[in-house]
Amino acid sequence: MATLSLRDVHYSYPDGGGAALDGVTLEVEPGQLVLLLGASGCGKSTLLRAALGLVPHFHGGRLSGRVVTAGLDTREHRPGAIAHRAGLVFQDPEAQLVMRRGDHEVAFGLQNLGCPPAEIAPRVARTLESVAAAHLASRDTGRLSGGEQQRIAIASVLAMGQRLLLLDEPTSQLDPQAAERLLALVTQINRRHGVTVVMAEHRTGRVFAQADRVLVMDAGRLTFDGTPGEAARHLAGSAPWLLPPVTQAFAAAGSSDLPLTACDARTLAPATPRRDVPDGMPGAPAVAIENVHKRFAEIRALCGVSAGFGAGEITALLGANGAGKTTLAQIACGLLKPDSGQVRGAGVRGYVCQNPAHHALRETVADEVAYALENLGVPAGQRTTRVRAELERFGLEQMAGRHPRDLSGGERQRLAVASVTVMRPSLLLLDEPTRGLDGLRKLELAELLRRLAGDGAAVGVITNDADFAGEVATRVTTMDGGRVLADQASRHLLAGGGPFTCQLGLALGCASLDDAVSLLTAAREPSHV
Amino acid sequence: MSPLPVGLLCGALLVGSVALSNPLSVAACAIAAAALLWAAPPPRRTYVWFAAATAALVFVANPFVGAQGLTPIWSGPHIPLLDTEITQEELVFGLAAALRIIGSSCAIAAFVRLADGDRVLSAVARVAPRSAMIAALGSRLLPTLERDAEGLALAARARAAGLTRRRQAAALATPLVALSLERSISLAESMEARGYGSGTRTRAPQQPLDGRERTLTMIAGALAVAVAGATRTDGYRYYDLLDNPFTGAGIAASAGLLLLAVAAIWTVRWPR
Repeated sequence: MATLSLRDVHYSYPDGGGAALDGVTLEVEPGQLVLLLGASGCGKSTLLRAALGLVPHFHGGRLSGRVVTAGLDTREHRPGAIAHRAGLVFQDPEAQLVMRRGDHEVAFGLQNLGCPPAEIAPRVARTLESVAAAHLASRDTGRLSGGEQQRIAIASVLAMGQRLLLLDEPTSQLDPQAAERLLALVTQINRRHGVTVVMAEHRTGRVFAQADRVLVMDAGRLTFDGTPGEAARHLAGSAPWLLPPVTQAFAAAGSSDLPLTACDARTLAPATPRRDVPDGMPGAPAVAIENVHKRFAEIRALCGVSAGFGAGEITALLGANGAGKTTLAQIACGLLKPDSGQVRGAGVRGYVCQNPAHHALRETVADEVAYALENLGVPAGQRTTRVRAELERFGLEQMAGRHPRDLSGGERQRLAVASVTVMRPSLLLLDEPTRGLDGLRKLELAELLRRLAGDGAAVGVITNDADFAGEVATRVTTMDGGRVLADQASRHLLAGGGPFTCQLGLALGCASLDDAVSLLTAAREPSHV
Repeated sequence: MSPLPVGLLCGALLVGSVALSNPLSVAACAIAAAALLWAAPPPRRTYVWFAAATAALVFVANPFVGAQGLTPIWSGPHIPLLDTEITQEELVFGLAAALRIIGSSCAIAAFVRLADGDRVLSAVARVAPRSAMIAALGSRLLPTLERDAEGLALAARARAAGLTRRRQAAALATPLVALSLERSISLAESMEARGYGSGTRTRAPQQPLDGRERTLTMIAGALAVAVAGATRTDGYRYYDLLDNPFTGAGIAASAGLLLLAVAAIWTVRWPR
């Protein structure tokens, strides 16, 4: 019997929008690892909610068809009953944490399931250990970083030990090492313990080849269902941005063999003399930070940090969760005062917050974008023109009259960026801008940041997504424990084999998709044969 | 920390601040409670401001609302409803009242900052599980609300908004309410997804006291006994004339309270 079965499922949310699920039919067999792909707002999260019965029991709306999860029909059983057999990790970790302490949070679900008290503590300890979060057991969940919260959220569901695990972008806030560990753990749970896993994910580099099946959704419909190899061939022509970076590179270079992992790509890549392109001179720093220290109560967030954001450059700030990246960015933008040290620079500085919901202050999307211009005193006529242009640039023109809170996660993220870039800042810093963005939107964002840098702005991106950093950054600054570890041209750090190496770097020794395609194309030309 | 030793310690200081009458003993309780709050993890500033402001208000207002004491210090002009004859007894009584406020406020604040909220609620849950869950959610949502307010203000300032405090509050109120509603819905969904309300919940296993907590329980017990003993020998009078506070019993009680408080603070700060 299938662990998860959907038969001709149609669903619309009660707000009267279009069909969130439109005739989805699907059977997931026990022990499968299924990867769910699709653009932001295509219905992946709704499908996962439907599997747990939250749609329609919690959200309301109109559902037709039949969903059976681990033998329970969601029309007859509420999510509380289904929770004994299936667990769901939501996209936003902060919004799902109930208790104040990490270990109590993990115990919460076990208590709800009526787990014997003597079993709770050892299971909590074991699960926290398995997600490398044992040190977070006694910490206040509200004061953890996004990545730490995500680990606790995942542990709180893993501890319940259900037969079906539903994961909604579980690595969106994790640094590369933590994401690697988590995906290894999910694979291990799936392979060793036979737990069925359905995972929606935008960062497909690590997980694509591990999946037994790949499902692709578009506008509420299931448009593809096949093996990873079949999915790679299917998507190479229609939606390559859903594929891992190495697969995208080979597809763009016209290769018929499409590798799914960095390892496969290395095998397939023709031997090519690497072109050693000299580093360009760093641009004049729009903002320079000198020997800055910052402390929050007992936590030393920055310890003598010196860094710069060069005009015309895109600098990626990489580092483990809690390394001090956000503090550095806020100090650079004048939003935080350093305890000591200096920040030099002039002009308008823009900062896009980590949580896009914080950029929803007004009643409509257009007003939200206009907010910064009103604050800067831009005349009404110019304001309208600039707002319209910005909405078009971010693909938000159709949503101009909607409330910002009615947008999907990815759309909110774009709005947050648009609401700041409309100021045309000389320094723009974005804190985790790719959270919740699909591959296509990431490429668009990368293009936009390149254009802003091309216009002379200094752009900084705090990100855990090494592939995105490789795509967009010209320089990379890595941080750990409130200190700068390295500050180099991006290809050295992201393609050099270190802890922040992106997938293209591992496979082909280059950081961006364009470089990889050039390399592969050049290798196929006669002169290189 | 476990609510048992912390509750016993803070409760003893609270009772001492309110029940003892010798100003020396009251001052000892206030100093001990303030030092205990200092030893607790931040944030503490709001509690300190509240205690200091209320205490200052009481100290300043008491001589003008009381009409007792036989040792006048200053007489002012006649003002209806106010007693403008200030006596030494009124001043000392006002000072003792201010110290009582500092002692009791700091003891309560120290409990809030030192006791593990989840363990407090787990204890309450044995009697009233639903109320404890509501309190648990409230205790988690309030700091979240505070952080959201900071986040919204940050996002506004990042877009060149020069927000004064009043305007800031007004501009952020609506999005903050909307955000908190969104959060509460997400939280409710997360709870339902993890089986909340699906049947009988297991009670959380009670966490045993560790060495530090056991030591603190013994010190807090001794402090409670000391406070109980001090109330028996304490017969201080403020009116009509002040008694001498420097009696053998008063000095011994104050010194004992302070010594035990120092031991308690040392135990609280003792690294695990």
